[in-house]
Amino acid sequence: MSAFTAQLAAVLRLHRAALIVWTVFVAGCVGYLVWLTEVTAPALREPLAGALGLDYLEYSSPMGWVSTFMYYGFWAVAAWSAAALVGRELESGTARLAWTQGVTPVRWLATKLAAPALVLLAGGAVFVPVYRWAWSAHREMMGDDWTFADVFAARGPLVVAYALCALAVGTLTALLVRRALPASALAVAVMIVLNRYVEKYREDYWPPTTGTPHGAPVMRVDSASYHPQSHYWPLHLVETGIILTATTLATAAAFLLLGPARRTVPARTPRQESPA
Amino acid sequence: MTDTALEAAALGKRFGRLRRSAGWALRDCSFALPAGRVCAVVGPNGAGKSTLLALAAGLLAPTEGTLSVLGEPVGQARARVGFVAQDKPLYPQLTVAETLRMGGDLNPGRWDARAAERIVAGGDLDPKARVRSLSGGQRTRVALALALGKRPELLLLDEPMADLDPLARHELMGVLMSQAAQHGTTIVMSSHVVAELEDSCDHLLLIGGGRVRLAGEIDALLETHARVSAAADTDLAPHTVVESRTTGRQLTALIRPAAPLPADWRPGTPSLEELVLSYLRNPEAQTTAPGTPAKSPEESAV
Repeated sequence: MSAFTAQLAAVLRLHRAALIVWTVFVAGCVGYLVWLTEVTAPALREPLAGALGLDYLEYSSPMGWVSTFMYYGFWAVAAWSAAALVGRELESGTARLAWTQGVTPVRWLATKLAAPALVLLAGGAVFVPVYRWAWSAHREMMGDDWTFADVFAARGPLVVAYALCALAVGTLTALLVRRALPASALAVAVMIVLNRYVEKYREDYWPPTTGTPHGAPVMRVDSASYHPQSHYWPLHLVETGIILTATTLATAAAFLLLGPARRTVPARTPRQESPA
Repeated sequence: MTDTALEAAALGKRFGRLRRSAGWALRDCSFALPAGRVCAVVGPNGAGKSTLLALAAGLLAPTEGTLSVLGEPVGQARARVGFVAQDKPLYPQLTVAETLRMGGDLNPGRWDARAAERIVAGGDLDPKARVRSLSGGQRTRVALALALGKRPELLLLDEPMADLDPLARHELMGVLMSQAAQHGTTIVMSSHVVAELEDSCDHLLLIGGGRVRLAGEIDALLETHARVSAAADTDLAPHTVVESRTTGRQLTALIRPAAPLPADWRPGTPSLEELVLSYLRNPEAQTTAPGTPAKSPEESAV
């Protein structure tokens, strides 16, 4: 186990620049959310500011940007995992360097995926609670509601699931294409299509309520049915499940694609010949 | 520890998927390399040397035949095999010290940090220098340190000295030889410069056109061949002729004597380079002649 930890640390050291960028991004988002909620919003509660419409410019709009950036952060994750995490290693031959150390290619890929996955999970574990708190602190000053695409994802594990899926898809495309730049473009394209498609059918992931909504914001399905806010968690978790299923499939395919170096490990057992 | 470091039986590797047009990089290779030897893999560019070493390192899967490494199926001996690829891939963003640290992380239980650091220190390398800032020779040194730090029983080196100056080449060769002497490490290194290997290697694997042309102990190979000069109309039978050339009324040839040679042929022992060049210049030499050298029992046996 300690050997595995050392290998995880080796992966993180190798991708230190990406780790720093991600940490700064998450810390920046979280810090900005706290600042907006604790400093900006109370200041804007002064009667004059509200009358001038400053709450939208200085509070509601930045809040929306934070969730948008975090939600679509998976684009960057896909590009990075396809290019820097795996693609460049295959292209420049450093993967072969790793495979001729004491680790098998399977182990190599496992640590390559596990280390950033843990970092993404940790980032989500910090961001999501803070965002939930900030988003609900000054509802009356915000122009959005729970059905907005980015808000819908950022208030729960779905935002992390998209990032993990991008990690797996990026790895898969890198192993498919074996060149950093095309793999990166392909991974981003696949993730955009997947995201558009899954998002488009978002309201179908849970049976809607029929009737006419009143009061609280709802997600309209058609003229006769809608999702009340109480359907948020079922809808959110079903979509998370869909994305995590895609993640699992992409990961499994990546391991299958690992190539000849993997196949030589168990499959080919030479005939035990004994030369006289 | 097994007695055979590397054993190939009818080993072949084909690149490309389309069956008709695909090319065999290596075909029908059978040889055995005893443990503890320093083996030179010699052949022209594109002969299949790199393919053979990559197969032995477990980076490629054979298309046909088998290859066992240190008595185990290839790939399972990974922890005991060191490999330095021709292009010496290293992570450019790491420092020298971090690269060695990674070697420790990826070789749990085997890593000899001090040995690796000693090799790096021998080249006046700053451990804090980034790999991307190193010269070709310095990169070779770091790659060798990484390969030797895992204390391999079999060390595979693909054109290891190609980008080193003569001084560094001499020094690193010394490091390798002392490693082989101290730990009984089997070293297999490829090169197309025969002279580079003559002093340090005791075993030869000559590859040409994807096939093993000659394999065996260098001393024995030199002994079983003779360079002769005789009159132009001399019949060289029953000896196996590897190469013969006629200049005027003089015939010079490299042969494998099948019987004691007449003294007026002025037989002499060829140099390793002469032997290698003769075989490489004459691709048909062994296939047309009876008693193919690469497969004769005294040479390919353990």
